[in-house]
Amino acid sequence: MSKPSFQALSTLCLRRLVPALLLAVTGCAKNYVVLLPDDDGTLGRVVVTTPSDTIELSQKSQGAFIGGTRRDTFTLTDDELQKDFGAALAASPQKPSGYLLYFDAGQASLTEASLAEIPKIKADLAQRPGADISVIGHSDTLGEPQANYQLGLTRATQVADLIGSVERLSLASHGEKNLLVQTPDNVDEPRNRRVEVIVR
Amino acid sequence: MTLTLRYAAWAAAIFLVATTALADDAIIGYVKTAQGDARVVASGVSTQAEPGTPVKTSHILRTGPQGSMGITLTDSTLLSIGPDTELVIDDYLFKPAQDDLKIGASLTKGSLNYVSGVIAKLKPTAVTVRTPTGNIGVRGTHFVAKVVPE
Repeated sequence: MSKPSFQALSTLCLRRLVPALLLAVTGCAKNYVVLLPDDDGTLGRVVVTTPSDTIELSQKSQGAFIGGTRRDTFTLTDDELQKDFGAALAASPQKPSGYLLYFDAGQASLTEASLAEIPKIKADLAQRPGADISVIGHSDTLGEPQANYQLGLTRATQVADLIGSVERLSLASHGEKNLLVQTPDNVDEPRNRRVEVIVR
Repeated sequence: MTLTLRYAAWAAAIFLVATTALADDAIIGYVKTAQGDARVVASGVSTQAEPGTPVKTSHILRTGPQGSMGITLTDSTLLSIGPDTELVIDDYLFKPAQDDLKIGASLTKGSLNYVSGVIAKLKPTAVTVRTPTGNIGVRGTHFVAKVVPE
């Protein structure tokens, strides 16, 4: 069974219920929400809650009116999507990108491979208007938590210095509290000795 | 004894007020795209949005008939709006370590394109977009919403 179109539902509503003043009283909602797939094709879910109803959307381009009496969902065509959301879709910011940089044990010196990533990060930053950047330092569990917090901060500062002056920068350390690879305490783990860089 | 307690209570109250004020003042994202009449309204003061303009909770993001604007929040949520739109992010918490995660936004009119970030990934029930006729609960990824003013 195919779903009714958005067009069919919204015009049906208008034809039946002229004059327009009656719309609110008779419950013909004009507000609506449509679920879209992510860039990689995955679909999430959206739940619409009104004082009287709960409607769940779980299919591609499936939409529902918000409020009113219509509980059935519809499928929005690409033309309708462009008409109502073309400008909003075109204004969507670039997806942020993340980088992981790794360090020598107990040190704030980057591995050679990670050092080679720095120019890529700079180039990425330069092509984003109004870019902001988060630099978060991490350590493995070798040593004391407080020292590892400091080490994370030193690593993050080191990376920020290499990237150079950025107007919108946030610097942080998670020390040994946010492990990429779970280990017991006092374990030397190269993959946990890292700085996470997010360019938005 | 009583005096000390009272003093401690006051200190706690002042601390609370101070931290709340601090939280409200935090930058939660930045404008990345702006076309035509696109403004950020902070406490009644309206400024033209441009890439790099900071956004805080309770700022009104407002576009005119030819305007559009895109912002990226610090959890990498992407929000973009079309013409004749008004959007406010009322609540924003992004402290994964404390499990304090929340986005509450209000779309009073216009069109919104939403792509979820880290908050929705870590806590799927933490994101709500309010409209005048009902609430949209986001359980991940991508949606669009349209609100037609009465």
